[in-house]
Amino acid sequence: MKELIEYIVKSIVNKPEEVVVTEERDSERVILKLQVAPEDMGRVIGKQGRVAQAMRTLLRVIAVREGIRADLEIV
Amino acid sequence: MVVLKKGRPGFLGFGAEEARVRVIRHRLEEAERASLILAKEMLEKLLNLMKVSASVRVKEPSSSGEIRERAPIALDISGEDLGILIGRRGNTLSSLQYLLYLMVSHQMKARVLLSIDVEGYRERRYEALKNLALRMAERVRDTGQSVTLEPMSPSERRIIHLALQDHTEVITQSIGEGETRKVTIRYEKQ
Repeated sequence: MKELIEYIVKSIVNKPEEVVVTEERDSERVILKLQVAPEDMGRVIGKQGRVAQAMRTLLRVIAVREGIRADLEIV
Repeated sequence: MVVLKKGRPGFLGFGAEEARVRVIRHRLEEAERASLILAKEMLEKLLNLMKVSASVRVKEPSSSGEIRERAPIALDISGEDLGILIGRRGNTLSSLQYLLYLMVSHQMKARVLLSIDVEGYRERRYEALKNLALRMAERVRDTGQSVTLEPMSPSERRIIHLALQDHTEVITQSIGEGETRKVTIRYEKQ
């Protein structure tokens, strides 16, 4: 999951070297925390959160198969 | 092809100059080709990271008029059990297409319109929505009662509006906001 978000985000920001994704996992839940350069915040959130929402939708594909919940937080 | 400077044969090879031309169309095709290759690679990588085993095929320009017109790059994903990639009302497929569009456009530094399909889902959905629109228009005409369809995405609502735009006895209108926006078909005598 971490790799998926990293790959997407690094492809749409101006400063891919500043992208950091951390993954916290327990038996029923995964929390991904995404950090980007301040100037790239708008790109990963999108208008009305559309980009972040689309990434959450793709995460759900993996999560459903693994039988867990996945959350993406932009910090 | 644009001739920037005409060549000169010179005299005995003295003062000869090469002609300089710019092949604009060629460059454009090259950019489109580079976008296409990149889009396919990125989609394959995304599917791989999503742990979905599927293959990506470039759709030929001849297939599917309506969808093709709006996106020069069309990719079709095929494999077993891909309903999970389509999602409710095509929501997952839309997210995948939107993110790929952002990724490829950012890399190419230009807007690269693209369309992704899963096992011909979009084409089937297009036909289904068109038929639904025509059927409902008939019902509206016969009963005089308006019909409101279930909520749809902008591109799906567009299919309904276009299917009925030349219909002489009904008019269509989108009502509601955001996720719950839907099309109403109304009787209108001319």
